[in-house]
Amino acid sequence: MLSLRIATRFLRTSPGQSILIVAGIAVGIAVQIFVGTLITSLQASLLDTTIGNASHVTLQNVDDKKAIVYTPAIQRVLASDPRVKLIVPDRVLSVIFSKGTDSAPINVVGAEPSDINAIYKMRQHLVAGRLVNAADEVILGKSFAKKYQLKTGDPVLVVLPGGEQQKLTLVGIFDVGTSAVNDRIGFTTPDFPRRALGMAANDYSDIQTQLTDPFQSQAVIRSWKGLEVFKGVQFKDWQVENAQLLVGLQGQSSSSYMIQVFVLVAVALGIASTLAISAVQKTRQIGILKAMGLTDRRAGLVFLWEAALLGGCGTALGLVFGVGLLQLFQLGPLTFPIVLDPAFVGGSCAIGVVVALLSAIIPSRGTSRLDPIEVIQGGG
Amino acid sequence: MADDLLVHAEGLSKVYGDVVPTPALTDVSFSLGCHEFASVIGRSGSGKSTLLNLIGLLDTPTSGRLVLNNRDTAGLDRDGRAKLRNTFVGFVFQFHHLLPEFSVIENVYMPSLIRGDPQSTQLVDRARETLETLALGDVADKNANEISGGQKQRVAVARALMNRPQLVLADEPTGNLDTENTDLVYELFRKVNREWGTGFLIVTHDRAIAQQTDRILELSDGRLLQDVANPGVEREAPAPGKR
Repeated sequence: MLSLRIATRFLRTSPGQSILIVAGIAVGIAVQIFVGTLITSLQASLLDTTIGNASHVTLQNVDDKKAIVYTPAIQRVLASDPRVKLIVPDRVLSVIFSKGTDSAPINVVGAEPSDINAIYKMRQHLVAGRLVNAADEVILGKSFAKKYQLKTGDPVLVVLPGGEQQKLTLVGIFDVGTSAVNDRIGFTTPDFPRRALGMAANDYSDIQTQLTDPFQSQAVIRSWKGLEVFKGVQFKDWQVENAQLLVGLQGQSSSSYMIQVFVLVAVALGIASTLAISAVQKTRQIGILKAMGLTDRRAGLVFLWEAALLGGCGTALGLVFGVGLLQLFQLGPLTFPIVLDPAFVGGSCAIGVVVALLSAIIPSRGTSRLDPIEVIQGGG
Repeated sequence: MADDLLVHAEGLSKVYGDVVPTPALTDVSFSLGCHEFASVIGRSGSGKSTLLNLIGLLDTPTSGRLVLNNRDTAGLDRDGRAKLRNTFVGFVFQFHHLLPEFSVIENVYMPSLIRGDPQSTQLVDRARETLETLALGDVADKNANEISGGQKQRVAVARALMNRPQLVLADEPTGNLDTENTDLVYELFRKVNREWGTGFLIVTHDRAIAQQTDRILELSDGRLLQDVANPGVEREAPAPGKR
């Protein structure tokens, strides 16, 4: 590989120039990895916070006041759809919590404890006690329990919509990190609200589903809408409910891409201009080599190799810088986890090398076309 | 045309410029046999370097026919010309044109690497042997910038000889050298011609140098004025077996 050998020697004999280019590429790739990972991690965290513990597609009766009948046919359709990863039929009951002279409204969500755990990751969020087992047990949010000085084992007196009082036992306290849930939601088994609302065994307030890909919700709803089994059923899409959030995320993604693209363009221009200067500086040498019989292709390869070497070294260094920056960043008071995506990092590295190679096309073509006579006649 | 000709030129012409055509060489015909030691003389601008560049395939003629080593060069593409330049011809220019990024010995074996020879002990040995022939053994591992002007020019000669070409084209090879080094270079040329049987075509404007060659081609205004054997030089039979 004579072209590679010449390229290596050219780079070694201009160390300042080589270091500058490598540093330029390294900074570009580091920024690319840092910004890209930061934004992606932030978005993933936001999405997880917003929809990780929520329904993606919710099925309800078209008449909001009526229950949805969870027929065996609906069960089959939902269970057999590979896009659905979780089905949680639940019953929601609005009650008034009462303690002494204090009272507060609570929405009691009744669902199977395993389903509650699956959708809300409730076991992880329990700060005291356990999940519910029996119909007269309830778990409440940390802030609610604190406000009304409740602890596990305490009785929880609630007034049902009909005015009837019911005594439940507080068996667990949770903190899901969302005040809307912590302040006014309680979880029980499905039987408590069913009895209180006088529902039939298959009647539910709604059927929550989580999808393997939350962004497939619109397609899923489209495919379900026409089915006979869903007659009289309305679908609520998380994307419609959280349209503002999605606009924000898209804006964030766009600005992230813009930053990354401009950084890469700046890197490409930097490499191209430095390689072009290098090509001019080495014109005499290339001309001499051509006079000795070096072919146009091999002469052109010299600068492609230079770019590949610079791109490889710069990208490797950029990878170290980028990951190092992310590690440093994590030492600060972060509220979201930073997840390094190997595909994104690999892609960024590949882009680094490709950009370097593309930047070498012009000097490489110029070198390839150089006529040795121009150099020889020019003398020393 | 004899089979043992290194160069056969027929009506070679070169015109520079499209808007204002300037003829540099007009209708030059001559042949150069194997092992010949010839010179091209003429005043500045007479077309000497143009002729050498055409024969060395660094430039293409506007018209005429050039046959090198029994091969018509008209049909050669850029790669074909580069290959023939690498294997058949060795160049020595007025300026040494060494590569400053490489050591002396690397400069010398560069034409062999270009030819495709692998980097090997034999290659390095051959380069060292070539350098020693030119009394440059002790500077082999120095950087090309660390040696004197005379040494650089001799290294350029070693580089030209590395691929054991059949023809060495030298364009004012001693133009930048003092008398001592000039004599040294011509002695080397003679030695290589005699011992290796390498043909030489040396461009010079110095008639005294031309007088040391076996044959003198004189150019004037781009035309071949005369082509004479030099009776003043005692010829020795070359030893081609040593090439």
